[in-house]
Amino acid sequence: MTAMGELIQEIFALYAGRGGWFLGLLWDHFLLSGQAILLSGAIGLLLGIFIAQRPRLAPAVMGVCNVLYTIPAISLLGILIPFTGIGNKTALIALTIYGIMPMVRNTYVGLTTLDPDILEAANGMGSTPFQALLRVKLPMAAGVILAGVRNMVVMTVSVAGIASFVGAGGLGVSIYRGITIYNPAMTAAGSILIAALAVLLDLMLGRVEKYFKKRGS
Amino acid sequence: MAEPVIQFDRVCKSFDGRPVLRDFSLSIEKGTFLTVIGRSGCGKTTALRLVNGLISADSGRVLVQGRDVAGADPVALRRGIGYTIQNVGLFPHMTVEKNVAYVPAISKSPLWKGEERRKRAAELLESVGLEPGLAGRYPRELSGGQRQRVGIARALAARPDILLMDEPFGAVDEITRRQLQDEILRLHQEWGITILFVTHDIEEALKLGTRVLVMEEGRATQFAPPSEVMERPATPFAAQLVRRSRDFAPRL
Ligand SMILES: Nc1ncnc2c1ncn2[C@@H]1O[C@H](COP(=O)(O)OP(=O)(O)O)[C@@H](O)[C@H]1O
Ligand SMILES: [Mg+2]
Repeated sequence: MTAMGELIQEIFALYAGRGGWFLGLLWDHFLLSGQAILLSGAIGLLLGIFIAQRPRLAPAVMGVCNVLYTIPAISLLGILIPFTGIGNKTALIALTIYGIMPMVRNTYVGLTTLDPDILEAANGMGSTPFQALLRVKLPMAAGVILAGVRNMVVMTVSVAGIASFVGAGGLGVSIYRGITIYNPAMTAAGSILIAALAVLLDLMLGRVEKYFKKRGS
Repeated sequence: MAEPVIQFDRVCKSFDGRPVLRDFSLSIEKGTFLTVIGRSGCGKTTALRLVNGLISADSGRVLVQGRDVAGADPVALRRGIGYTIQNVGLFPHMTVEKNVAYVPAISKSPLWKGEERRKRAAELLESVGLEPGLAGRYPRELSGGQRQRVGIARALAARPDILLMDEPFGAVDEITRRQLQDEILRLHQEWGITILFVTHDIEEALKLGTRVLVMEEGRATQFAPPSEVMERPATPFAAQLVRRSRDFAPRL
């Protein structure tokens, strides 16, 4: 039997024998990334709306987000430890910081590339700025914003896999343990579940995005 | 003589240091159908957008129903003035009914709640010559002419006293344009609304207007009934315009 065949067999053996443990990790993983997704979604959306309203601030804000985005995940976690300690809180902060960038970018692009005729109509008919935003701009930018959400969700779910390096829960625990006890099957088993979760969420969001893209055309 | 609903009083407006309207004065009586004609870039759109406060004058005053636009609440002002633009600008994510009901919705009009909204939208669609059955469609499912009509219905939903139309029929075929022209004539007669209608088509200007305004490089060079513009064009440019439509029957 090949090495690969053995590995796959071991992985299935792990799922069969420690199913409850993996399910628990999957749930923790889902909770941790879910919280980060909600936080960066909300912060990124608000920040994106804010700079779309004030284009002069946009390059500076986007620049800062870009810089944060390019810090390697592992070193961002390391940098945060002295400030926020070890555990889920640090992981949550790091994941949130990561997720903000795609949200800001897509919200900003979505809101600033709208058909000017439609904005002229919305303003000319007497929308308040808030009404124009809520009733016209955001719904029309929804397709682009959702593409950002999708991007951010997949990234957050996968980056959350290294959160256990700072003592957070989730499937990273099995990855980390697999590495420390020289059990590649355990590392792979956790990674596969992360990939599956990411793909599943991506497919679901893809459908929602398609609906909004079609509606907004 | 009727009262003026819209007055331009020595208005100047520049963009990036380039004058677009120069000492522009005009007084439009209630119920007028004013057609505005002039070369591209002569300031027609700019004049319209001064009326609903989308831009403000550098000097001079614009009065709407006797009140200076500069001191008015722009949101309230605009809700009382219908506005249609060449590319219509229908909201693609809203059905025809929701598009038509937009101004009542943002004004929280109690007249357009629930079942009432459906009825009123259907009435409006009929009055612009559309099947009420289109109410549930999205703009992308309509023809160009239908979109223009929805745009007009949307502009009329809040029963404005003034309607600003910026080259509304510029992008439709000839037959549809004729139909739309007849429709807007009928609406003008039935509703007694004041209309400012920008066009680059002299025949359209003469056919629709009770008054025609000829603009040249930011100035009003002739403001007269269509028959007078035809018979006594005030400038070489006006003469050149009407020469092309010798055999045309103007609105009386
Ligand atoms: N918001 C604006 N910013 C800068 N320039 C403008 C703006 N609006 C209009 N202009 C300029 O003013 C001139 C007159 O424009 P406009 O009133 O739209 O002309 P028309 O409608 O008669 O074709 C054009 O040269 C145009 O480029
Ligand atoms: Mg124009």
